[in-house]
Amino acid sequence: MQVIIILIEILILFAIIMLHVAYATYFERKIIGHMQVRMGPMRVGWHGLLQPIADGIKSFFKEDIVPEQADRITFRAAPIICLVAMMTSLAVLPFAKGWVLADINIGLLFIFAMSSLSSYGIILAGWASNSKFTFLGGLRSMAQVISYEIAMGLSLVGVMMMSGTLNLTKIVEAQGGSFTGMYVFPQIIAFFVFFISMLAETNRVPFDLPEAETELVSGYCTEYSGMRYAIFFMAEYIGMMVMASIGTICFLGGWNGPFEVSIFPPFWFVFKVYAFMFLFIWIRATLPRYRYDQLMSLGWKLLIPLALANIVLTGLVKAIIG
Amino acid sequence: MQVQYKPKRNLLETILHTEIMQGLALTLKRLFSKPITRQYPQEKPDIQLGFRGQHALVRDPETGGSKCIACMRCVTVCPSRCIHIRYHKDEENDSRVVESYDIEALRCVYCGFCEEVCPVNALVLTEVFEYASYDRESIFFDQEKLLKNWDDFAEMKGSAIKNYVNPFWRPRGLPEKYLAAAKRVNVPEEWTVEGQFVGHLAKEQ
Repeated sequence: MQVIIILIEILILFAIIMLHVAYATYFERKIIGHMQVRMGPMRVGWHGLLQPIADGIKSFFKEDIVPEQADRITFRAAPIICLVAMMTSLAVLPFAKGWVLADINIGLLFIFAMSSLSSYGIILAGWASNSKFTFLGGLRSMAQVISYEIAMGLSLVGVMMMSGTLNLTKIVEAQGGSFTGMYVFPQIIAFFVFFISMLAETNRVPFDLPEAETELVSGYCTEYSGMRYAIFFMAEYIGMMVMASIGTICFLGGWNGPFEVSIFPPFWFVFKVYAFMFLFIWIRATLPRYRYDQLMSLGWKLLIPLALANIVLTGLVKAIIG
Repeated sequence: MQVQYKPKRNLLETILHTEIMQGLALTLKRLFSKPITRQYPQEKPDIQLGFRGQHALVRDPETGGSKCIACMRCVTVCPSRCIHIRYHKDEENDSRVVESYDIEALRCVYCGFCEEVCPVNALVLTEVFEYASYDRESIFFDQEKLLKNWDDFAEMKGSAIKNYVNPFWRPRGLPEKYLAAAKRVNVPEEWTVEGQFVGHLAKEQ
């Protein structure tokens, strides 16, 4: 009985997340369009509202091409690794009080593990396609993940020290319902480091070197087509949502808001996640891409020392006050 | 000239990322501005004065044919050599009779020289621009097609076609006395900029 209920819950979550992913692409295209003084999708449905569905149908029915020289098994597995890793981390996210599939005590660690696992998908895709562009994209992704994973992990150590737990529900509860209780104020340095590494983790502009269109065609997914390409796309957007959710949970007080919305408890959570998503898109519309060495020097010379300093600072304050 | 790649900024500006914030403010401002793009097939662009589109031979209301007198000026002036005229001499009254008048529209560069030099305003580049096609034959215009283009254009313009004057029929930079009789047409005021006379004409003024 328990298993069936969990399965139904998983199915509901899956469906909702897929719809959100579809409409996140629409949201992004519309916002970027208007920021560039054009309209974005306008044709399918009213103001292009059915565009994501049309895109989905199109990519589902497109021919699936596997390059002749590719490593077939790895080539087919790579997008699935990406998607599975990203979707698994959804299980531990608390959308509201009690609205969580698996309330495990190592939630934060689990998400770290899964987000680094998803970069395996990218690296394997780059390797298996047997093409120079995908290979370079995979290499870049590898280096990027190594340097930014550390900064991100260290930046969240401050949060762990303040809340004293890795359980995401407990982290939200530790922040309390008040505005000043949010960890973004005491952990402002950590938030800064986390935000930048979050952009790099999800391969978004200005750190989208693995799929840099201008120099690498489409980076690691150059050789992919049809549904497999769409799976990479889904994984990227779910990754964005997961990272936005972690930001919300660890720094912005999760589902707590100025007032309770009793009909839909996760209201404030969704609101904050979409604020993060808007920020992602806003930054994409504004900033150019970093050069590769700049990316590395930013990660190793600035973010990691800052995150370490933040840990020392938090520890000192904690030792003095309590 | 020395290009400063990295503008000087103080520590506070570096920490607060003022330059990135400026960029973000700009994109946010643009988010609420009106898009400048047009939903093309539904919204047509407004045609400006001096638009040069599909070629047409003006249908003379008196004869029902073209006004062309086979003077070959358009053929001579055409930079891409896309106009071909064949004619013969009428022995009775010593006038030229056009046998064929062809324009290879795919080679045309739409400079409008042909309509400027035409002494009888026979040729015109209309305001029609949607005539793309899947085959080359339909964009090769012979005399019949050119006359039909004019009819289509007349239908598009409706009753305004009676007073239609293409601004290129009156070349700019020439005073009225240097123009052939047919070229002394009334064009909009902003088109005949009198200060545009050049060379010895400018000295005469």
